[in-house]
Amino acid sequence: MKQQRKAALPRYGEYNCVLKYLVEQGFETQCILPPPLTRRTEEIGARNSPDLVCTPFKTLLGSMIEALEAGADVLIMVLGACRLNYFGELQEQILRDMGYSFDFVNLSLYNTGKKRDILRMLKVINPRRSLVKAGKALYDAIQMVQHLDDITSLYYQNCGFDPTGTYPKIYRKFVSDLYDARNLTEIREAYRNASHAFADVNLRKPEDPIRIGIIGDYYTVMDPFSNLEIEQKLADMGVEVHRLMNLSNDMLRNTNNRNKQAVIRRFSEYSMGANSTSDIWQAQYYAERHFDGVIQVKSACCMPETDIMPVLANLSREYKMPILYLTYDSQTSDVGLMTRLEAFYDMVEMRKKVTH
Amino acid sequence: MNTQEAFLGIDVGSISTKAVIIDRENRILAREYIWTEGNPIGAVQRLLGLLEKQWDPKEGQITGVGATGSARRLVGAVIGATVVKNEITAHAVGTTSFHPDVRTILEIGGQDSKIILVENGIAVDYAMNTLCAAGTGAFLSSQARRLGIEVEEIGAYALKSTYPTPIAARCTVFAESDLVHKIQMGHPREDIIAGVCRAVASNYINNVGKGKKISSPVVFQGGVSKNSGVVRAFEELLQCPVIVDENGHLMGAMGAAILARRSLERTVFDFSVKNMDFVTRERSCGGCSNNCEVICVYRNGSLIDFWGNRCERGAARTDRHQQ
Repeated sequence: MKQQRKAALPRYGEYNCVLKYLVEQGFETQCILPPPLTRRTEEIGARNSPDLVCTPFKTLLGSMIEALEAGADVLIMVLGACRLNYFGELQEQILRDMGYSFDFVNLSLYNTGKKRDILRMLKVINPRRSLVKAGKALYDAIQMVQHLDDITSLYYQNCGFDPTGTYPKIYRKFVSDLYDARNLTEIREAYRNASHAFADVNLRKPEDPIRIGIIGDYYTVMDPFSNLEIEQKLADMGVEVHRLMNLSNDMLRNTNNRNKQAVIRRFSEYSMGANSTSDIWQAQYYAERHFDGVIQVKSACCMPETDIMPVLANLSREYKMPILYLTYDSQTSDVGLMTRLEAFYDMVEMRKKVTH
Repeated sequence: MNTQEAFLGIDVGSISTKAVIIDRENRILAREYIWTEGNPIGAVQRLLGLLEKQWDPKEGQITGVGATGSARRLVGAVIGATVVKNEITAHAVGTTSFHPDVRTILEIGGQDSKIILVENGIAVDYAMNTLCAAGTGAFLSSQARRLGIEVEEIGAYALKSTYPTPIAARCTVFAESDLVHKIQMGHPREDIIAGVCRAVASNYINNVGKGKKISSPVVFQGGVSKNSGVVRAFEELLQCPVIVDENGHLMGAMGAAILARRSLERTVFDFSVKNMDFVTRERSCGGCSNNCEVICVYRNGSLIDFWGNRCERGAARTDRHQQ
């Protein structure tokens, strides 16, 4: 009998719980969680990557290597709208050259928009399982993504104003519940528990708190390790942190990029690839709601994010809303980041005091 | 209390260490500027020794201490600062106190450069160089060494030139090879030096100042502002006068002192810190594969502060942190 396969997806924020659910419940295949991202992940990723590729490539590759070390034999690579789409092929080649043997499921190969190709993709992961079951699990996983994103948004908007320190505990419990969930009831229960627990905490929040919106490239902005936990750092300073950029908002809810392009036409008429349209749209969304500032979080060598910087500068001038541009490379020290964040916070706070 | 309150501000940068003592009306009572020489604690202790000589205890009592600059955390712990602030805020606060109508602050230090836009006396936008130290003081001093002159002489040489040599400004490595090439082609030394100054200014405007609206009055500060060649290059590029305050290099320290005055915390400062024995030790936590480098600071053998750990596992035991 063929040995059971063990699938893994490189670490991507907390979204691995969703894939774990999908693989285990939908395809009845074992799912391996790569260890949490650490400096070692970045080091081995960077050592085996082309030098000028963006940091997410290196981090993803490092996490794949750690997944293989942990016993995975099927690797799943995500798809994306920028050169992330080509990453899978290159990463597979690098890993094969390093001598690993594994099956590689490159999702971008099946991302043709045709239903037939989506079905083919499902068959590759586990050929013997029923499509009905996979479809059901996919439905659950979609609910899970949305619950995860909703609780995460709530967490970062409020945890800076929690005097009791229970917010992080509730959030950690919620995430670990999602990793353990085996059916939709358990997913919903975890969500309910967390939102009730959040509601029970008495927040000490000023009427008009400092609000900062975060935008940035698909990977760096959503992965706390890669952005050196920028959201937590801001929240700890007493900021209401908003991040519209998450999988639910970008892939399930507000997906009409042509409409977004129409909204931001004043600043940019054409798409600049990847989530550039969406990013500008988000910055404008924050500006129109009188946010105190916006922070752009991007990886070094990310083309679309670099291209939108002049557009953001125009937007910043017109709305009189400061924008901080941060570029992340595989750096380990957060001293420079703290200097910039503190200065940004001080500036935004002084501005707010004067204008009110 | 019949004694006047005074406030000490210390700015410990990568290259130089600055300190001022001010009174309640922001008047400078004592000031000092020395090289850091890769030893921030030693520099601060030397600096305190020099300040103490200028300081007359009858003038008042130092009741607040502000620390800023890249070694602010370390120095703040050592001297027991009441306020530890980043250098961007400190510079903005310092400069706007002395030039209330300033609109743009250009700042070029030893390792970093920043631009701060000001409207009605408050900072509204800023940018800082990322990933690359091109066009900072370190570049100027290494090129001065190559040309065989002191970094302080650059300005005088540059002003002699009428036709500055164009030098690629995009990146220090390119600038340097361009410079070597121009030297070997026989360009006069003044023109090359003026070209280097211009490269620093245009690199700054294209890099840090990208997309920022630079409006007059412009104040230029940081160590490089003492270089008249760069000042002239900025005036030519921006087409407006550039103000260089005689205390421009002290603005970070001034800002730190002013922030200490504004904060409510008060402790009496004692110059005896300059004779104490401080040791820093790095230890690798090893609690997980992050291997956080935890820095521990000891005063006369006992631990007073630590940082660098990402979680509680790396926490060291100090009297201050036991709660």
